[in-house]
Amino acid sequence: MASLQPRLDEFKKAFESGAPPYSAPHEAIETMHRATAELKASGLENIALNVGDRAPEFSLFNQDHVKVNSAGLLRQGPMVVSFFRGHW
Amino acid sequence: MMELEALQEIDSEVRALGGRIVALTPERERYTRNVHKKLNLTFDILTDLHLKTAEQFRLVFALPDYLRDLYRSFGSTLDRFHDEPEYRLPMPARYVIDKEGIIRAADVNADYTIRPEPSEAVRLLRTLRA
Repeated sequence: MASLQPRLDEFKKAFESGAPPYSAPHEAIETMHRATAELKASGLENIALNVGDRAPEFSLFNQDHVKVNSAGLLRQGPMVVSFFRGHW
Repeated sequence: MMELEALQEIDSEVRALGGRIVALTPERERYTRNVHKKLNLTFDILTDLHLKTAEQFRLVFALPDYLRDLYRSFGSTLDRFHDEPEYRLPMPARYVIDKEGIIRAADVNADYTIRPEPSEAVRLLRTLRA
């Protein structure tokens, strides 16, 4: 199985090189670094739910507009839950 | 996107261990449908509209003004994708939750370019089963 982090590192390197296909301007990269550093410094990641906490229940629509309920899934077994920002 | 692809690679192992993967995003269904199809995913992407669930996991932050402007200039308009005029996002996070609803692994990183290996989740599911 290929590892995820090396792929992310490779993407980051290509993006931050400023070369095509991304051709990211230097100032844009600086801005993104600043925002990440500020979020890191805010300590917000330390207040997120953590190991030992009870996971909140959710009931949300999937890609086919079918309601999916976390309690229903957990009745069958454990769950891996990933939060991501989006396709962009 | 790379997170989703990496999760897809472990989906059959997770299922074999009795578990399920779900990915939550604030994006509207018209976008989750496209991504799901494009990546041929076999697990669900759930729309956490207005970040209600992400808020309960305490993962939500608002983009600073200068970053909003930058994303807008790239064409990433969150008000359109997420119906999110305040430009809030979830911090990238991956949780493993056991059958009793207790969090057994939590990886939250303010830096979205750093993610844990999906194989770690598989390893944990194996020990939960043992």
